[in-house]
Amino acid sequence: MHRLPPKTFLIVSLALLVVALALGLLSGPVAIAPTRLLGLLSSGQDMDSRILQSIRLPRVLLAALAGACLASCGAVMQGLFRNPLADPSLIGVSSGASVGASFVIFFGGAGFLGGTFELTAIAVGAFVGGLLATAIVYRLASSVTGTSVSTMLLAGIAITALAGAATSLFSFFADNEMLRRISLWQMGNLDGASWNRVAIIAAVVLPMMVLLPREGRALNAILLGESEARHLGIAVESLKRRLILITALGVGVAVAVSGVVAFVGLIVPHLVRLMIGPDHRYLIPGSALLGAVLLLLADTGARTLMAPSELPTGVVTALLGAPFFVALLLQQRRKVLD
Amino acid sequence: MLEARNISLNVAGFSLLQDISLRVAPGVVTAVIGANGAGKTSLLRLLTGEQKPSGGVVTFNGSPLVDWQPEQLARMMAVLPQSSRLDFPFTAREVVMLGRTPHATGLARDAQIVDAALHAVDGGYLDKRFYTHMSGGEKQRVQLARVLAQIWEPVTEGPRILMLDEPTSAFDLAHQQLTLSIMRSLAEQGVGVLVVIHDLNLAARCADQLLVLSCGRIAASGAPSDVLTSKMIREVFHVDATIAVNPVTGTPLVIA
Repeated sequence: MHRLPPKTFLIVSLALLVVALALGLLSGPVAIAPTRLLGLLSSGQDMDSRILQSIRLPRVLLAALAGACLASCGAVMQGLFRNPLADPSLIGVSSGASVGASFVIFFGGAGFLGGTFELTAIAVGAFVGGLLATAIVYRLASSVTGTSVSTMLLAGIAITALAGAATSLFSFFADNEMLRRISLWQMGNLDGASWNRVAIIAAVVLPMMVLLPREGRALNAILLGESEARHLGIAVESLKRRLILITALGVGVAVAVSGVVAFVGLIVPHLVRLMIGPDHRYLIPGSALLGAVLLLLADTGARTLMAPSELPTGVVTALLGAPFFVALLLQQRRKVLD
Repeated sequence: MLEARNISLNVAGFSLLQDISLRVAPGVVTAVIGANGAGKTSLLRLLTGEQKPSGGVVTFNGSPLVDWQPEQLARMMAVLPQSSRLDFPFTAREVVMLGRTPHATGLARDAQIVDAALHAVDGGYLDKRFYTHMSGGEKQRVQLARVLAQIWEPVTEGPRILMLDEPTSAFDLAHQQLTLSIMRSLAEQGVGVLVVIHDLNLAARCADQLLVLSCGRIAASGAPSDVLTSKMIREVFHVDATIAVNPVTGTPLVIA
């Protein structure tokens, strides 16, 4: 396994993020010349600048923030569970959010709640559902002696199954219109982007980007084992509580504003680890940057591949990401054999 | 100094340890021996503060273990568990560097210590190799280097303690000998060493003090030549053994 220097990787990812942001702003049903981009963003009252400022800019920012959030939470979960196959949905947050969103769609009805208010209600339902599910999983796994990560994994599987059944029940009794919206929501979609949503997710993700990398050394020690980490001076119980709370909040908000965008939280940290190694001090910011890039590119694809209609973003993340990931795995394996 | 006074441990109605008192004093190597399930690892868990005793108290430098900040304790006390699972591709150097987590001695000094610790366990060549690709013995040596790096230098806060749970279980003869000489040289530097070990002859060669555990109680303790008798071995391990004297080291030699 050959590694890249972490700092080089972070700089390249940052450059990629800038390119992906520009690409996202320029692409869409209405083509905009790259040379006009900065001028249109800063001022102007014509149609193109309004498209940029009130439609595309919030959308690309939402995609970048949600991608950064999901990927860095994935990195944290994989470290905390000491399992490279863990992802944020393990603690039940995604499935709980699905129940919350389906609940609102089902009882909100097609005509009862309209427009922006309905989208917001769905987001709130998803957020509350996600946090509730995580709280239950956490309670189940906690005892006087601390939180058992393996019990948590099992509790997460049980709650996910239960939540899946509840969502299926809502889908079963829903009418055609509701059913369509429940399943669209579960595919993950950024089409509800607005400045309000950008503000909400930014309020959670930006502090997270400062807080999470600080736990890098402690997470590195946790990879050795919980008691090993304790003997290295890490206050393991409070670390676990803190990280689970941050992850539940982060993923809860991301799922609330964008639906269940699968794949990013699992694959991105994995990719970054293959490139720069498992040191969380670099893995977390690296995952955030690459997660933002991946979701931006996927969302740009979702908007433009079948323009003027849109594909669900979550479908595109999997379509683009999975083959890329498989190629990378094969390449790594060849290197090991050489 | 680490001291346990009359500690006991009950788990789910079973009494795992009863009325155990011992000291891990600076410069002394104490070896804990006993049959499987005698409570050796449980004792280690109580002494390291990982588990609270049901009765009695463990103190470090006169204060109960629970009153110490984890980070402060970690600068003076290192613990090597029986086995550690690590599924992430850290290099040997990175694993050993984790031993410096509780310290703030700076990257340059930490790098020197990591080099020295890796060489001490005959692992210099492992430096850039991935932990996930190593053999069982290599992994155990890297983990040993990690705890050595943790207590490599004296600290002003107090004496250093090293606790090892069966450190030689995956080692060949040469690396078993190496581990013994590492423990001896640490003791000469004033480190208090407590080692759980199965091989009675290794225990006899490295320890100043032997502690025999049997069914959660101390069956015997003292200098190896006093403790290792065929009577004790019959009672504790249910094996008939002859005790000779090692012609080179003069320590007891158990022939079973």
